[in-house]
This record gives sequence, C-alpha cells and structure tokens, in this order.
Amino acid sequence: MKRLAAVVALLGLATMTACSSTDNKSAGGGGSTGGGLFTTIDVNRPGIDASAPANPYNPKGNAFPGYTTMKIGWVVNHLTDPNKALPGMAASWEIAPDNSAITLKLQPNAKWSDGKPVTAEDVKLSIALAYTQGSTAFAVTPGAAGAAAEVTVVDDKTIKITQDPANPSPKFARGVLDTTVLPAHVWSNAVPATIWDTIKTARGDGPDAEKAREEITALGEKVIAFAPPKDVAGGPFVLERVNPGEALLVKNKYFFNAANVAPDQVKFLNYTGNEQIWNYLTQGKLDHSGFVAAPTDVMNRIKAAPGSEVIKGYSPVAVSMAFNQSKKPYDNVHVRRGLAFLIDREQVTKVASPEGGTAATTTTGIHQKAADAWISETLPKLEPYKVDPAKAEEEFKTAGLTKKDGKWTLADGTPWKVSMHAPAGFSDWLSAQENIKSQLIKAGIEAEVVTTADYPVYLEELAAGKYDVGFWLIALGPAPYDIFQRLYGASNGWANVSGKVKHSPAGEAGNWMGSPEQIEVDGAKINPGELTGKLNSVGPDEAKPIMSQLAMAANQDLPVIQLWDYINNQFVNNSRFTGWPHDDEVLRLGTGVLPSGVWIQQGLVKKKQ
Amino acid sequence: MTVIARRLAGHLARGLVMILVVATISFFIVNNIPGDPVAARYEKLVEQGMSPEAAMQATKVLYGFLPSGTMWEQYVDYMSGLLRFDLGVSVTRPGTPVLDVLTDAAKWTVLPVLLGTLLSFLVGVILGVYAAIKRTGKLGDALAISGSLLHGIPQYVLAMLLVVIFATLIPILPADGPVDILFDPGFNAGYIGSLAEHAVLPVATYALSAYGGWVLAMKSSVVTVLGDDFILAAELRGMKRSIIFRYIARNAILPLFTILALSLGLLLGGAVFIEKIFNYPGLGWLLIDSITLRDYALMGGAFLLITVSVIVANIVADLFYTVIDPRVRSGEETR
Repeated sequence: MKRLAAVVALLGLATMTACSSTDNKSAGGGGSTGGGLFTTIDVNRPGIDASAPANPYNPKGNAFPGYTTMKIGWVVNHLTDPNKALPGMAASWEIAPDNSAITLKLQPNAKWSDGKPVTAEDVKLSIALAYTQGSTAFAVTPGAAGAAAEVTVVDDKTIKITQDPANPSPKFARGVLDTTVLPAHVWSNAVPATIWDTIKTARGDGPDAEKAREEITALGEKVIAFAPPKDVAGGPFVLERVNPGEALLVKNKYFFNAANVAPDQVKFLNYTGNEQIWNYLTQGKLDHSGFVAAPTDVMNRIKAAPGSEVIKGYSPVAVSMAFNQSKKPYDNVHVRRGLAFLIDREQVTKVASPEGGTAATTTTGIHQKAADAWISETLPKLEPYKVDPAKAEEEFKTAGLTKKDGKWTLADGTPWKVSMHAPAGFSDWLSAQENIKSQLIKAGIEAEVVTTADYPVYLEELAAGKYDVGFWLIALGPAPYDIFQRLYGASNGWANVSGKVKHSPAGEAGNWMGSPEQIEVDGAKINPGELTGKLNSVGPDEAKPIMSQLAMAANQDLPVIQLWDYINNQFVNNSRFTGWPHDDEVLRLGTGVLPSGVWIQQGLVKKKQ
Repeated sequence: MTVIARRLAGHLARGLVMILVVATISFFIVNNIPGDPVAARYEKLVEQGMSPEAAMQATKVLYGFLPSGTMWEQYVDYMSGLLRFDLGVSVTRPGTPVLDVLTDAAKWTVLPVLLGTLLSFLVGVILGVYAAIKRTGKLGDALAISGSLLHGIPQYVLAMLLVVIFATLIPILPADGPVDILFDPGFNAGYIGSLAEHAVLPVATYALSAYGGWVLAMKSSVVTVLGDDFILAAELRGMKRSIIFRYIARNAILPLFTILALSLGLLLGGAVFIEKIFNYPGLGWLLIDSITLRDYALMGGAFLLITVSVIVANIVADLFYTVIDPRVRSGEETR
C-alpha cells in the first residue's frame, strides 16, 4: 500500500506541476508584450518540422512567406492582370511598355534581421537561386515562355531584368515579382561563385548547354537542402525557435515598415488534419487561417466563436466533372450535354460547398467573375445548361441511348452506369458526387461513387485513363494561359514545350480527357490546344477573342461540366486584432504566400484597442 | 557459455535474419505503393497559383532526390546503405538523413507511450489482483466491469472523448502538440510544466486504453494461481496473508511480463491515431505524413524501425523470462 500511495503522490505532483505551468506561461518564455501575440497556421503545409532549415525552397522549411521571407512584390489576385502586385522588397517597379523589361527599385530602408542592408546584389543572388528551383521568369529550359535574358544591377537599390524576346510572355513581370529575396551574405554558400556563367551557358544550345542545365538541376537539390546557420529574415518577423508542435516568430526590428507592424510575436500552430484547424477556430485560438473546407455544422460553430469572422472573396479556381472521352458513351457530345442539362448545379453546390462555392452559371472553363471581366460579351451567347430533363432526354436519344423500364441503356442495349471517382478526404467532391448520383438515379441513370485511397493514387489512375468520370480543378487563373491549359493542356493531349504545341492521341502522354484535336466552333474549325498555347505569348487585347473562342468551345463540346466556382474564405478573429482587408485582390497572394503576413507588413492589421 | 548468453546469441542471429527479410519485404511494398507523388506535388503547386511551367520545374528539382535505376539496383543500394545505417534521402525533408528524422520523431512517441504503458501496467496489475481476490464482491465486479469497458473502447475513440471533455467542453488541458512554444526550451519549470501538461491527455489515453487489458489479464492469472496446490498448502501451513499475496503475485505476473515486453516493442508503431488526434509529432504521425506525401525513404525507414523494435522486444521478453522464471532457466540447464 505504501508503494501505491507513493505512486499516487507522484502522479498528484505531476498534475500540479502541469496545471501550474498554465499560470506561469508568460513568465516562462517571454510572453507577449505591447503589440501582442498573433496566432495562425500555414494551411498550405501541415506539420511543422523542428529539424527543417529556415529555407523557403525546402518542402518542410521553416520559412514563412509574408512573415519572415519576402518576395520582390506580392502578386495579387487580380481578375485580369497577372502582373499586378503590392510592394514587397521592391518599393516600386517599372514595366517597359512592350513588356521587354522590368526595373525594380528596392525599399530604401530595407534591412535584414541581422542589420545588414538589402541590396540589388541580394536580389541578383536570389534570382540565381530561383534559376536552380524552376521559376516562370528564371528558367533555363530552352525556349521557355516569359524567361529572363539579362539581369543587370543598375545601382545598389536598382536592378533591371530583361525578357528573352524568343518566346515572350505577358506574365513575365509576375514571374519576376513572385521571386523570393534572400540575403546574399548567407545564401551565397549555397551556390558556386560561377553560377551566372553556368546559367548563361545553360540558356544556350548544344552539349555544353545540356551539361550546364544538369549542373543547375544538381544545384537545385543542394539549394533545397541548404540549411542557414540561423534565420536571417527580410520580413517583419524572424524565426525565434521551432519545436515539433509550433513555431515562434519575433518582430524584426530592422524591417523597413516595423513601426506599422502590430504584433510582437507570431505563433504558428501545427496541425495534422482539418479537424484540428476546426478545433482551433471554434476555440477562437487563431487570429487568422486560410480556407479549410468544413461541413455546415462545423462552419456554424466556427462562426459562433467570439470575434470570429469569415472574409469571402474571389478565388480563381473552379471544380468540374471531367469526362474520359475514350470511354463510351462519353465520347458522344450529346451524352455530355444531356448530363449537363440533367445535373442541378445549384443543388450540388448547396450540398457540397455551401460556404466555399457558387454554382457555375454555365461551363466556360473560367471562373464566373473572371469570365465577366474577360469575355462579358460572349457569355450571353453561351448555352447556360439550365436544368431541363426534357432537353437531357432529347440529347440522350440523339446519342443513341434508349430508355427501357425507366432506365437508360447504351446504344447496344447494355446498361449505362455513370461511375464517378474522387479521392478519400475530399469531402466536398465526395458529397457532390453523392448528390449527382442521386440526381442521376432519379432520372433513370445508374450511377456510383468510387472513392480512391488518396490524391496521388487518384491522379495516377486518372492520368492512366482508368476512370470514366472524375473531378478536376479548372480555371486556375489569373493568367489566361494558366486558366485554359487545365482544359486544353497536357491532360487533354496538348503538350506545350518551349512555345511549340504538340498533340498526343487519347491514352498517350497523359492524355486522359481525349477531346478531338479540332472542333468546329461558330462555323470555324479550331484547335483548342494551339489557341491555348497562343495565350502564353499574347497581350490582353489579343487574348480576349481567343478566350471567347475557347469558352465557346468548352461550352459546346463540354470536355467537363463546370460545377461550382470556389470562393476564397479567410477565417479571422477580431478579438485581438482588427483591420482585416475585405478586398478580393489581397485575399490570395502568390505561390505559397501567407496573406496575413502581407497584411501585417503592409500595416493593415491593427492591435485591438 | 551461460544459458542467457546462448539464448542471446541464437536470438540475435535469428533477429538479424528477420530484419533483413523485413527490410526486403518493406522495400518492395513501399516502392510498389500506388500513386503518383510527382503529379500530386505539381497539382498542389498549380492550385497554389504557380504557373504550370514553374510547377513542372520545381517538381522536377524536388523529385531529383528520388533514387533512379532498376528496382533491383535500387534494392542493392538500399540494402548496402542499410549496413551503414543510411536509410536514404527524404524527399520531403531533403538534406536531413532519414535516420535523424526518425530519431527526432521517436522521442515524441516513446516517452508518452512508455509512460502510459507502465502506468496502466502498474495500476492494472494491482487492481487485477484485487479484482481476483474480491471477485465475489462488489469491488471485484466494479473493477472487472471497468476493465471490460475500457478494454472494449478503441484507443482513438477514447482519445477523442478525452479531447472533447478536457480540451473542448471543459478546456483545462491542451490537445495541440507536445509543448507551448512560448516557453524557452531547457530545464526550467515553465517548459517542463508545459511538456507535462501537454502529455497528460495522450498519456491518459494510452494508460486508460491499456488498463482494461492488464486488469482482466491479471485477474484471470491470479484466479488460476489461486487454485494451485501450493497456495492451498501455504494457507494450511498458516502463512501470513502478505506472504501468500506475494506468492500469488509473483506467479501470476509472469505471463504479464511477456505481454508487457511485447507491448513495449509496439511502442513505436502503436500510436498512429493518437498522435494525429493530439497533434503529437511522433513516429505514427511521421508514418502518415510520409505515406500521404509518398516519401518512400521515410516510409521504409519508419516501417523498418517499428519492425526492429518489435524484434528486439521479442528478444528482450524471452531473455527477461529466462531471468525472472527459475523454471525456464533450470529447464535449459538440465538439457
């Protein structure tokens, strides 16, 4: 009994210690003062890894774009202009009227967190690092669209980048601005001093160029693995420490706009799944979180948390029901059209993504908001595919399908079953498919939903042409080429290599959609893949008619049925901080950028008084 | 050669062969898991707003880390690396040896699971003896019922219940990772207190879920021993109850030690759901992460570590049995 009593006493002591730690939190480790502690998560990267370096190129790297790492500019979520950006490490820039060059003026007071000034040499080295990682503007691939030709340091705070005239792209400036800036005095160890010679050689032709490109790729692996001895940040915060559960950032007193940065500290919480994010949000723990899909009841609990607010805005992504046209009866456009007339997209969206989506008004391949901005005059000409069972029946009959005993069968009399696939964990897709299934069954079409183990398996099987019907993200803007290559790109047979578009037949080279190479639109034969390829090199005025043609092609040929356009939901909490932007353009900012970091550094976010 | 040394040598030889076999099997399983991680990475980057060309190049650079060559060449490379304790390069954590990643994660698994297992063993065994002795009374019934109930609830359900009760409804304990970052790491009250505070719910989950098994097993073992002749003889001789209690406990606990050693072997692999629920960055969580991201080297390393720990636990259990049970020892010696 004495031993048992001792064990009980020890357990009691441990519990007391544990409970007392809550009271001593701020005393133990420099709790927040003044501006306070800002708590958030990185929705793009689950799982904080304490052993990962402060390296923005490392997949698990403890670098937080917007908070610790800076880009030259923060490209915004504009409907039509891919080159629009907020100032980042560059205070301003000038794009040549013919888009042939961009001249960057760096922030005059920019300093690294170790007090050293930010110079044009830092930007030049950062560009060299970007070459090793693959970037739109800084690519050594021969003939790459929108690639830079020359990088010239004009003075300590000015740098000019010219575009290679061989294959110019309208989004060249975006590619430049969306580049991470790193301190040369830390990162110069990651690449050899001869890096620019290698880049120059790699951009040429012949065996030497090929060898140089291999060297660059090998350097890329070295750069990804590079571990700076400590974080030297250019952003408003610098990494203080990371443990396996959280990361702590403290204010960078040398940041050029430090006076307008509200929080003193930022805490990044770890999570392993959406459920934890929901818990954080319902408990009011997070000051900001990017969008995570949540069922209606969870969303209601999140909204009910004190201070909670959901900011809604434009997200250039749409989800579609994509067909494998190598499989019967989906090779017949009338079948696809029939399905489009049958499926109630409003109902699907209401069930699957009530907060995160708006039912697509029709299929264009573009998000409705961007379509309004780009091709408003074409939209009225398009078939809206409003729910119309009679039209659906007519289309099915035209396709040769027959209805027996209330069930639709294929032309050869065999039963027709619409088999839809989605990866496990994609709850909105699965809910949507279940809803479509019940709608189809009601209309006399057999249907099933098949769940695939996970996303990598789904993509592999989709690309291998194993599915009849799957869900596919489309309309990934803002650049017109990026939007339409989801419909008329590699997944549909058109590979764009160095500005040359080549078509592969269905079932080859990743062509799982299997659309015909040419279709007739408005009385003219068009090649949608070639037209899409053109979008990568033309300006907005030339892009508009091409986009109209492609939207019409998508609308009449229906390689996919556009189901809903996503809405950008940002979760914020007004209990500790206020001033959240409600502007569509700044709710999504470049690849992997944490928008709240940018809002804070721009001085938008204020400590609640 | 002593009995223990002889047994140890035999076990080590068999263990080594088993590890090689398991390493081979896990290599081929891991490398044949369906799924295209390159496409998944590309899609993720494009969804985040990266242009298709840049995403293609970035993916190419990242997956340049993947081993190349035929499956056989990769296998030979893997096995020769294994002999040098080199488990390959992680795609998701380039630059960090897989062994380091696993070691970092292992400590967040071993400590809570060990603590939970030992706690449940201690409490379960003691209460199991009481449940057996008082098996006709209300206390015995209550202990047996509590054991059956807790034994029947899946570990992850118990974990979620604890989270709902203690982290959401009555939010007095954290369920969001191993320690609060605001405390300076080191040997200070705040940091250690935070570690302990964050460990309460995971440890309680491990302890409660295992407790039922120990109570029931110990009760059953004690009841068997109670019917043995030597207990009757001890009672007839008028021995003190405490001495008889010791006789019972020593004999009844033997099979439980074997189970304990085997449970400890499963320490590294038995925490997948719990670590996900409590956001604990241990081996279980790492395994899920590596499968999701198709980080083959990490996946293979995690499988191997879990297997090795089970094999080692088996060896330890057997040797331990030799030490604590004189019958096994004398049986070997008389051979």
